[in-house]
Amino acid sequence: MNDSLDTLVLTDEPYYRGVGNEVELFAAAMERNLPMLLKGPTGCGKTRFVEHMAWRLKLPLVTMACNEDMTASDLVGRWLLDAQGTVWHDGPLTKAVRHGGLCYLDEFVEARQDTTVVIHPLTDDRRILPLDKRGEVVKAHPDFRLVVSYNPGYQSAAKDMKPSTRQRFGAIEFGFPPAETEAEIVMHESGLSEDIARGLVSVAIQSRELRGRGLDEGISTRMLIHTAALIQAGISVHDACALAMTAPLTDDSNLQLALNGFVEAQFGPR
Amino acid sequence: MDLAVTQTQAPDFGPCFERLRGVNDHAHATLLEALPRLTRHLADADDATALADIIAQVTLEAPEAALAFAERVCVHPRMLDDGAALRRWALHGLKQRSGSDRMLQHFKLSDPAVFSDPQTLQLSRQFTAQVEGLEHYFAGFGFDGMSIDLHDPVDGNEPQPSPTLGDTTMQFPRSFEGITAASRDALYRASVAHAAAHLRYSPLQRPIGNRRPNLVALIALIEDARVERLMVQDHPGLHDLWDRFHDASKKNSGFDLAGLMARLSRALHDPSYEDPNPWVNRGRELFEEAAARDLTDFVAFDRLARELTAGVGKMHLELKPDHRPTPVYRDDNAVLWGPDEALPEDDSIEPEIDEIEMRPADEVPEGQDTSDIDLRPRYFYPEWDHQLQELRNSWTTVIETDFDRARKAQPAERSRRGLQTTPRAARRVPDRSVRLKRLPAGDDLDLNAVVDNLVEQRAGIAPDGRIFMHHGRRARSTATIILMDLSISTDKFVPGSFTRVIDLEKQAAIAVADELDSDSNRVAIHGFNTNGRHEVNYYCVKDIDEAFDAASRTRLEGLTSGLSTRMGAALRHATALLDQQASDNKVILVLTDGAPSDIDVVEDAYLIEDAHDAVVTAAAKNVRTFCLTLDRRADGYVRRIFGERNYFISDQAATFTERAGTVLARVLAP
Repeated sequence: MNDSLDTLVLTDEPYYRGVGNEVELFAAAMERNLPMLLKGPTGCGKTRFVEHMAWRLKLPLVTMACNEDMTASDLVGRWLLDAQGTVWHDGPLTKAVRHGGLCYLDEFVEARQDTTVVIHPLTDDRRILPLDKRGEVVKAHPDFRLVVSYNPGYQSAAKDMKPSTRQRFGAIEFGFPPAETEAEIVMHESGLSEDIARGLVSVAIQSRELRGRGLDEGISTRMLIHTAALIQAGISVHDACALAMTAPLTDDSNLQLALNGFVEAQFGPR
Repeated sequence: MDLAVTQTQAPDFGPCFERLRGVNDHAHATLLEALPRLTRHLADADDATALADIIAQVTLEAPEAALAFAERVCVHPRMLDDGAALRRWALHGLKQRSGSDRMLQHFKLSDPAVFSDPQTLQLSRQFTAQVEGLEHYFAGFGFDGMSIDLHDPVDGNEPQPSPTLGDTTMQFPRSFEGITAASRDALYRASVAHAAAHLRYSPLQRPIGNRRPNLVALIALIEDARVERLMVQDHPGLHDLWDRFHDASKKNSGFDLAGLMARLSRALHDPSYEDPNPWVNRGRELFEEAAARDLTDFVAFDRLARELTAGVGKMHLELKPDHRPTPVYRDDNAVLWGPDEALPEDDSIEPEIDEIEMRPADEVPEGQDTSDIDLRPRYFYPEWDHQLQELRNSWTTVIETDFDRARKAQPAERSRRGLQTTPRAARRVPDRSVRLKRLPAGDDLDLNAVVDNLVEQRAGIAPDGRIFMHHGRRARSTATIILMDLSISTDKFVPGSFTRVIDLEKQAAIAVADELDSDSNRVAIHGFNTNGRHEVNYYCVKDIDEAFDAASRTRLEGLTSGLSTRMGAALRHATALLDQQASDNKVILVLTDGAPSDIDVVEDAYLIEDAHDAVVTAAAKNVRTFCLTLDRRADGYVRRIFGERNYFISDQAATFTERAGTVLARVLAP
């Protein structure tokens, strides 16, 4: 059981291109056991950042995507049956707490508020996880770290964190990187040439101007990388942009007109 | 004898104009006088009534213009042949600032026939469908507030104007010559991208000084090329987009100045284009030289334009006064200079040798008094013209009063009990975050219960077998706006009682808000009255996220009756407000006492049809409308506006309040 998390230690460095001093900040917070809250638009590199930091800190990474169907048992663990009788099965959170690891809860606000309170005793100076069903109190391993992320953009007001949860965290706000950096990221991830990568980034920047005009979020770095990969695989630029950027983003024909116009402004008429 | 026969056969439209009497006696007399001549051009009594209506409509907004209109009709009765075009023309005139010279000029001089060309109308419609997309496109270049509109129509023989870029609006011509349907969309985008280049890189609104037309036009041409060159650095694809409209050449553009300028434009745009003309080549040389040094140094480019203008002077060429920039997507560059000064019609032919005079932009007078400026937010809504079967764009102005966004910040204290009267409406929407555990049957196994069961089984205890779980449902949420009619008629007493209509409306609003307002059923209390189409007052007593507290009750008490009832505009605004809400059900409950009416509308059915259109538009946005009225003769129009089952007539003061609750329950019931 003790080495169960070893497989989750990342051996190869996940690529992450720092934009500001977030790497130092995050490392400093982790050093002091401060749980971290990462917020930012979808596809701007939050998850990749966590992977990169887990690798850098040489911690096993336990990832859990939250949804409103998730129960506290899904996080903490539950009794299951085997031939002899019942056995306790640690949930991902308990595993990370017991054996030391970086527990990453993605889209944290999607979970119900009464589920998320299980992290409260873990995130103050007690650093314990009571397993009431098992009658056990797990003391957190010195290497246990907690990171959660969410996207403040499109969640409705109904889905928000309790102040009591919120105040336990330090936070880093993520945005899309500057154009130069974003092009560099797209080039690194896809191997695309610089001029096309710059063009894609410019389309994305224009699309982000449409926020509040019927578009929740503009084209993300992740979409750019997908598009770039398609272009690299031999798909024409216009087709790739339509497939991976403009068509998935919205169904509104007026917004489509504008988005296709931005592609045209970079790569010419089809 | 003959005469008598003609007289009995010719229909007498005199009575149709009767509605003008008292509204505009001058116009009435003028029309009656000219009646024999008009009769031939009026198809039937409806036509004549429509004419009287539209003149009355114009009268109510601009009496002078209406008289000009009537006189014009009498002199040129041919205008009546196409009733729809005449109507469109008159409405277009009303869009000008009221009482302005432009409005009067429109009715005195412009020709209604420009609105009768079906092809141009068709193009305008197609364009209108694209406007929103083009505005998004504009916003993508960083110009969020720019709106896009059409130019005034031009007379048949005159050439269409170029697009015009203003501070907040870009205007397009109603049709483009020699442009196929396939490339029209690209042309619009090319125009917008070019305009964005100006806004991004051009020095705007420079004083024109004493520059001659040739110099002005050449500075503009060089500026067009310069900003496009800069724009292409960021958006290389635009080069190809613009490229398809550059078709000038020695062969098809000729040797006059306009032709040479078109060729120069192309030479500056397309490096592969070769032109035999030395002036064009000199221009290209100078431009490339300056561009190689610094594209952003517009003064250097001005110098260059000056040199080229001198060359034009030597050739003794001059520009026609109706010169328009080429290619067709380029705007008229009015934005570079002050408004209306792009091409002063100065026909001096002396060559241009003046020094450029650089002056700072016109100083804005400081210390302007802003205290009497009305800062209430204004919203513009279209109105449905049932005779033309089209929307009149931005026809009404809704002015929000007492909307205070800060009030919303205070958490609302609501009763948690929710809607008592409509148990059927609740519990409708599946919600995965609600979990019902330990059920005897269900969609999923409840893993914890299964384990407990088996443990009990092993231990020899009878398990209870309830090992399933199921997702719950949550109450369907509603957002309701109670829209109170506050027109002057609500000041009257309800027949057979000592209560005023407005007090009854207030009681009903209080009853409904007290009864319904809860977390899942949010209620807003709004009211409206109108003073013509430019002043639709929309009051907020209690907004949707606001507590129904002492302050809002005081506001409700303070409401008084006055003015008229332009129901469609108020409905459109309420719909827009509800559209921002995320509730499952959205309802507008109108409390009123009579048919829609307004001071600037004379047609009987117009406001009713518009209100009906507003209701239909609301339904398309998932907003239901319902009407509770005190007018016992309301049957006809209320049914037309709200539909068969969506109204309730309560002519008893005693039951009105009670009805409001049951009516809402009926609306919210599934």
